[in-house]
Amino acid sequence: MEEELEQKYKSITRSVPRVDSEPKVSGALKFITDMKIENMLFAAVVRSVHAHARILSIDTREAEKISGVKAILTYKDIPGLNAYGAIVPDAPVLAYDRVRYYGEPVALIAADTEELAREAASLVKIEYDPLPVIRSIDESIASSAIALHDNGNIARHTIIKRGDTERAKQEAYLTLDRTYRTPFQKHMFLEPEGGVAYIDESGIINVFAGGQSPYRDKLQIARSLNIPPEKIRTVDYPTGGAFGGKDDVTVQIHLALLAYKTGKPVKLWFSREESGVAGYHRTGSEIHLITSVDKEGGLLSNEAQIYLDTGAYQSFGPTILDVSIETINGPYRIPNYTINANLVYTNNGFSSAFRGFGAPESNFAIESMINELAAELHLDPIDIRLKNILMTGEEGPFGNTVRHSDGLREALMRAKRSKIWAGALQNKKPWQRNGVGIAVAIKGVGFGTLPDYPTAAIEIATEGKVKIMFSNVDYGQGINTGNAQLVAEKLDIPLNQVEVRHADTKYSPDTGSSSASRSTFTSGNALLMACSKALDRLKMEACLYFGTTNEKLEYKEGRFYYKDKSASIYELAKGLKARGETLRFESTFEVPRYPAPIEGTLEVPHVVYMYGTMLSSALLDELTGKVHINQVEFYADIGTVINPSIASGQIEGGIVQGLGFAITEDLKYDASGKPINNNYTTYIVPSVRDVPDIYVEFIDSSEELGPYGAKGVGEISIIPAGASAAHAVYNASGKWVRDLPLLPWKLI
Amino acid sequence: MNYSQYTVHSPQTLNEALGILKEKQSEVRLIAGGTDVMVLIKDGVLKEKELLNLSYLDELKYIREDGNIIKVGALTTYRELEKSSVVNLSAPILVDACKTIGATQIQNLGTLAGNLGNASPAGDSLPPLYVLNANVKLQSAESERIIPVSEFFLGPRKTKRAPNELITEITIEKAKPGLHYFFKKLGLREANAISLVSVACIVDLDKDKKINSIKLALGAVAPTVMRAVKSEKLATGRQLDLNLIDEIARGVSEEISPITDIRGSTEYRRRAAYGLVYEGLYEALMGTAKRVSGGIEGVY
Repeated sequence: MEEELEQKYKSITRSVPRVDSEPKVSGALKFITDMKIENMLFAAVVRSVHAHARILSIDTREAEKISGVKAILTYKDIPGLNAYGAIVPDAPVLAYDRVRYYGEPVALIAADTEELAREAASLVKIEYDPLPVIRSIDESIASSAIALHDNGNIARHTIIKRGDTERAKQEAYLTLDRTYRTPFQKHMFLEPEGGVAYIDESGIINVFAGGQSPYRDKLQIARSLNIPPEKIRTVDYPTGGAFGGKDDVTVQIHLALLAYKTGKPVKLWFSREESGVAGYHRTGSEIHLITSVDKEGGLLSNEAQIYLDTGAYQSFGPTILDVSIETINGPYRIPNYTINANLVYTNNGFSSAFRGFGAPESNFAIESMINELAAELHLDPIDIRLKNILMTGEEGPFGNTVRHSDGLREALMRAKRSKIWAGALQNKKPWQRNGVGIAVAIKGVGFGTLPDYPTAAIEIATEGKVKIMFSNVDYGQGINTGNAQLVAEKLDIPLNQVEVRHADTKYSPDTGSSSASRSTFTSGNALLMACSKALDRLKMEACLYFGTTNEKLEYKEGRFYYKDKSASIYELAKGLKARGETLRFESTFEVPRYPAPIEGTLEVPHVVYMYGTMLSSALLDELTGKVHINQVEFYADIGTVINPSIASGQIEGGIVQGLGFAITEDLKYDASGKPINNNYTTYIVPSVRDVPDIYVEFIDSSEELGPYGAKGVGEISIIPAGASAAHAVYNASGKWVRDLPLLPWKLI
Repeated sequence: MNYSQYTVHSPQTLNEALGILKEKQSEVRLIAGGTDVMVLIKDGVLKEKELLNLSYLDELKYIREDGNIIKVGALTTYRELEKSSVVNLSAPILVDACKTIGATQIQNLGTLAGNLGNASPAGDSLPPLYVLNANVKLQSAESERIIPVSEFFLGPRKTKRAPNELITEITIEKAKPGLHYFFKKLGLREANAISLVSVACIVDLDKDKKINSIKLALGAVAPTVMRAVKSEKLATGRQLDLNLIDEIARGVSEEISPITDIRGSTEYRRRAAYGLVYEGLYEALMGTAKRVSGGIEGVY
């Protein structure tokens, strides 16, 4: 198959090195938080030391006495809207009457040095009146609970129904009733939140900060500073990891505000511990499922009660809830269902986007349920899935038509033949138990039914380069390389002639955010359209150059041919340039979507879905309860694979991050609402020695709507890790662990 | 990070260092590899404003054989211990333990005396030192004294080192060739993990699997690293079999006094200690435990 593809394509489907690997590997590359600007001020954030309290007074007088302090800002200094949030702006930029999580920003300091800024920050006196701390979903929804917001403690509630679950339950052979829980997860990107802002000669506020969504950030900054968005430039490359934790605003508004107020360059950079308390985390979840099957394992109904803990504010919570709704039925044919979904406020920090975006939470529940049903019915866990997965062309659970689910069927067949599925480990010690687990995952690419019009541009530079521009940020996932390959393929030019202009609103059109596994699909498609537009125009120029009209010209390897003459796109571009015509070609792609979401949701369903199947082999030490996942096989249906090496890296990275979520990562808050584990010592992400042997296989598939048949890849592999690992542990121990992570004391 | 608030003394010789220590006493914080002190500085919790940087004292960087004794200079790093042929031959349990400390970067910098001086009950090099009958040499400008490692610690972060004293050498007894040994550590991940429980054991089994002698030391389960003396006594002279293994492991889990903290509860640590002791002794019984290869005859 690979050989065939190699003949079919010149640039894509090949594992070319990343376009930015050399400076990253050599250390030559400066990350944004490495930036230094002359006369730069350093910022510090005064943060709440209560998880929930009224603010009685803020006294900055002592802090003002520190020489070298250039600004002390409170909510009074915010010219525009004192709120932010990607979906619902309910989080204050600076707290005014109340704080709702430990570490919430109350004031900002800018000073000549970092030390002075921190000293001044420590001198800001805030008088609090502590309020009861809401530490859990149960506490939040209790009738006696104090209301965290004007709209109460349930930020969003919706019920979605199909069929008649009551009747289905009565007719069912088996009904299981289970509750599953997943913990908060921290992103733990290597580069904590940070950046630099300055005002340039033309009065533009330049905000360089690690992020995922330059244009949305720009709008949020503009809204709070009460200035037009065009007075702001955001630059997001290079960002040292994001995983969703930089999708909403982190430091951007604070930076812009400080630059705006002081007129000087300002740097703000969280310490690891600051990121630990003030940075975002994944929603915690509690999901109650009542699921019914017939005797053969055919799914009859699914009743789901979903509770997601969004922490103090919503950020992406409403749409995260939508993805959890969309994935709670898995990729299965379920004729009757009821989904009662709730987004709940607590004082447990601040939840936001995290790779998978609600899907890992729901997946742990539904896939564990499927495994429990299979065990109860003595059915092979692969067979029960094969029986229930939706076929291509069938109607999906949310009125959508299933496109290309054959890849999932194929993956399950391959999983069935795999060595680790078949065989137990040899040479075990008497206290070691081995078990294999499985889970499958489904995840929509992009924003579902939300309108999405990504724009990208290319520029034919006369010096023999094609510059490509889009606002998706390459924060390590490799979008710059993938897009360069797509453009090289389309224009039939060598990859080294493609130059990526990284995410920067000064040059890049608005392609939207790097999130929802959408970047390849959205910017890829928009870039291919821009390439077509350029080729159309250059063809006219070629005709002019060859002295003909509207002839059928041959085009290959970057050149147009006519009779015995030929001209390269660069030569032709010179002709255009000489006449003052643009060499920049911009196109907007309309992301295919259903016209409206199903009732009760914001963006369900999607048109295009990725699929993944994950087998995990666990080695459990019965005496200590310690779990080690020693082997993983992952079968991915992501459409055409633009760069197999980068795509494998994404799959492997997601697996490892997913196993951290499954086994050791457990963000906890103490009784006062303060996070207990806020750094790498106490918050246990896997080390390289914990990484299992991973085998990744891509199912041959192609999605006509995607660029050269590509779908997306970023999120699919993190999603099934929890259920797959828990199933492996069940097969090793006979115990169902329904609350992640799989810590050793739960297993002895 | 503002390091300028610290005054750093960097003596070039031991005498110079002892002179500074005599004058400054507890005003200075000793720093060698810095793998613990730098964390305190970063967290802003280091009390002392002066640092005595020991890293130039090359005279304290050595590993020497002296008959049945191995003398380890205080500034010897974990990595140097891991690479030392004499330590590998006659005290391999210390090598195994050092390999579990932090990760490679920590092992390259951290020193054996630093692990002693830091006095964490979870210090992973310490249980092996207990079963190797290590002695700690303390020197001041005026005098020197030697304390068995088992008497060196007073509690978490507390030792018998006087403010004017420096740990200059650690001596360990070579283990006799053929002895079974194991070091087992339970952390929540495979590197950069702080021990929930660690166990070091050297056991002398005769050819009929009778226990001639046994030494068991545990980390992270009491205010200091501890020898499980009751369990050792219970085991000595008896036939090693599955029943005895269970009895010893049970004894150890009762003898320890672990706390509940962020990494694990008292109850879990007792069970995990049982598990680690059971697994190590089982391997010794089955002949799959590691054995000291030896060099010259040890004194065990």
